[in-house]
Amino acid sequence: MDEQSTEHRPLALFELLDESGIGLIDSSAGLLDERERRLVVGAANFHALAAPGQLLRIIVLRGPWGTFPALTDRTVHHIEWAGDREAVGSMVLRSVVQPLNAVARPTSILGLVVDVGGGTKFGTLYRSLPGWQGQVRRTARSLAPIQFDALRQLRTDVVERLLAGRGVKRRASTRLNRSTRPGGTSGPPAVLFGLHWLELGGAERWALDTIQMAADAGATPIVITDRESNNPWITKPELASALVVPLTHPMDPATEAAFLNGLLETFDIRGIHVHHNAWLYQRLPWLRAVRPDIPVIDSLHIREWRTGGFVDTAVRLSSAIDTHHVVSPALRDYMIGRQGLPAEKIKLATLANLTTDNSITMDRQLGIDGPFTVVFVGRFAQQKRPYLFLRLAARLREHAPGKFRFVMHGDGELADEVHLLKARFGLDALQIRGPEIPVAHTLAEADVVVICSDNEGLTLTSFEATAAGVPVVSTDVGSQVSLTADGLLCPRHPYRFLDAATTKVIAMMTSPDQRKSWLDEQVVKATAFAKLPLARPWVRDLYQGWLR
Amino acid sequence: MSTVAAVVVTYNRQAKVGETLDRILAQTRALDWIIVVDNASTDGTDQVLASYCADRRVIVYRLQRNMGGAGGFSAGMSRGYELGADFVWLMDDDCYPSPDALEELETGLAKAEEAMAMPLSYACSQVKFVDGEICEMNNPSTTWDWGRLMALGQECVLVTNCSFVSVLFPRRVLTRFGLPLKEYFIWFDDQEYTLRVTRAAPGVQCLRSVVVHDMGVNRGVNFADVSAENMFKFRYGVRNEASYRLHHQGVGAFVKFAVRLAQQLHAGHVAWPLRIQLLRKLIEGVTFNPKPEYPRSVL
Repeated sequence: MDEQSTEHRPLALFELLDESGIGLIDSSAGLLDERERRLVVGAANFHALAAPGQLLRIIVLRGPWGTFPALTDRTVHHIEWAGDREAVGSMVLRSVVQPLNAVARPTSILGLVVDVGGGTKFGTLYRSLPGWQGQVRRTARSLAPIQFDALRQLRTDVVERLLAGRGVKRRASTRLNRSTRPGGTSGPPAVLFGLHWLELGGAERWALDTIQMAADAGATPIVITDRESNNPWITKPELASALVVPLTHPMDPATEAAFLNGLLETFDIRGIHVHHNAWLYQRLPWLRAVRPDIPVIDSLHIREWRTGGFVDTAVRLSSAIDTHHVVSPALRDYMIGRQGLPAEKIKLATLANLTTDNSITMDRQLGIDGPFTVVFVGRFAQQKRPYLFLRLAARLREHAPGKFRFVMHGDGELADEVHLLKARFGLDALQIRGPEIPVAHTLAEADVVVICSDNEGLTLTSFEATAAGVPVVSTDVGSQVSLTADGLLCPRHPYRFLDAATTKVIAMMTSPDQRKSWLDEQVVKATAFAKLPLARPWVRDLYQGWLR
Repeated sequence: MSTVAAVVVTYNRQAKVGETLDRILAQTRALDWIIVVDNASTDGTDQVLASYCADRRVIVYRLQRNMGGAGGFSAGMSRGYELGADFVWLMDDDCYPSPDALEELETGLAKAEEAMAMPLSYACSQVKFVDGEICEMNNPSTTWDWGRLMALGQECVLVTNCSFVSVLFPRRVLTRFGLPLKEYFIWFDDQEYTLRVTRAAPGVQCLRSVVVHDMGVNRGVNFADVSAENMFKFRYGVRNEASYRLHHQGVGAFVKFAVRLAQQLHAGHVAWPLRIQLLRKLIEGVTFNPKPEYPRSVL
């Protein structure tokens, strides 16, 4: 194994024989940036694992802006590519993964073509909806986002009623208790992680924390992502010592098995931690059948209204998972009370101190003399419904021109729409801030934070706002009730949300006593919540047990 | 260790609620919270309750208006759930639990679940009248295999429905089945709820857990006893049971209930104006079909 030690050299399971344009030998001589380089290394590692000992020639393409990488799917075997792709790199390498049959070491060279995509566009299921139906939805969505959302919420109501009390059908268990191996494992200890993607998000923030903890405990983190994305976070320092493999689909089934076999033979995998990764979830029964001795846990954050999301996937595959880590009381109760999973299999451990130290600032002065600052913090994504905040801002401005100031702090797939609606509503005074400015700066200016989400687990923004001494107006979804004053919870339906949120923000602006009363209740809730077990020490101890 | 919240619903019970609370506070199995729901009492009950507030475990939750036993238990169970209780222990304000009543419920339920190899829906106590006789109103109904646990040497009986006079519900039951129907206001709310939750698994009556129900007269529910003085309770009772029988058990059960009602009213020579009022309530049950609310997971 060629464990390249410099900061810029990610873990590689191949011997580099030659390269051009990629910059693995000299990054200044490459045509790729660091993110693209890491994507290429991830692809090379995947193919090195899937073809042990194989000589590989990899051509690297870059697509136009707005396209996603293609690194591990079937297209990589095609040596013909679309006219809008430019070739930006070429490399020849030899997989240093040991073939099980050393006599049959392949000598021919395997040609692969990987595409690193174009630019750091945000991944989104919504934009990738195919066909005329997708086009109709996108058009309706952009012309009338709030009306479109009202219809979505009605659909949610219907589905929720239909699925109420439904038990998720579970897979049969694996009864094997011993693994059958072709040879002994002598590789470095490792922890296998499954992530959705490497983009901004609370679940991803927690996943990176756990990856760092595994590295700190002496394991090599193996990080697999499975969602279409440009993976802007692939350059994060938490991944410096990790083997990162961003999967792209559809993959050849034989290649999938070869890849996982390569991992199991190359590393001494001590545990598997699934964050949000559908591909890895579905392969857990296979992994359990191959290596029943490897402990498996998952971390669950949010239950999707219509599909159940990863939570219901976890219930379905619970027989292949030893412990379900849940971050909120609502999920704990759902898993035990609604789905009937044994209480000892569910671990509630909160992310209360993930981005804060649990201290609370209570001596803030309100902007009574200046405008009352209303803030949105979060991804500009459908789930967060930034368009509702913009409509709320428009309403508040109409109610009391000049009395309010608005800040939207975030970025994401709906950034274009946010700018468009800002102009459409004439919200010249609304300030949009990107992630380059610390959230703490925005919260320091805030008089109230508004969370408009269609669905949530428990927002990190709520913890951060409480720590900054800012009351939170939130939709009553997920476990937001755990951290939001009862009087500041609003309905999920867009029009009812707008009515309620408008009333509450105005009440806080006009009555500092009312605002303080709600903030006090929020602090009481946060203090009680902070006494629940924390995720960090639990996971740290767990990993240390795995690696003992 | 599991956490338990006792839930006591009180209304104008100044003379008795103190003893109920004293008995709860003196349990051999310590409680984490004692939630007293005051149904807007007007007789000075609030002053009695205020004297218990020095104990940090006691939470007095005064409702703005009298919401009946159903509304009170629903509110108290919801509060206990929000506090994070693993169990809620329900009882009336004239119920006097013996010192080990809760301990016996908890251990009885655990042993029964172990023996049955399945989670059970609740554990209820043996309810006695002040004279030591069994309390007529608070007898649970048994399952067809009621003696299964007794055959294994346990002093427990498998049951379907029981009253809210000393009954212990695990948190998971509230999560799955929600809260009692507060719209029932009074009577049959406990029967409906325990029948609802035993769709998944039976409950268990732990005979070693004993409480005394100081209810004045030891009489069960019988429509022959209807009079102008007690009519308000029977009105709710007829509407609620009619609703339950029709909407949850079918037309046959509804007709059977109507016949039983008529027979008992006839046997008791109940005055015709009262019979007509109850007939109206029976008909009201056809359209009265409230749906359960679910508690919120806060902690």
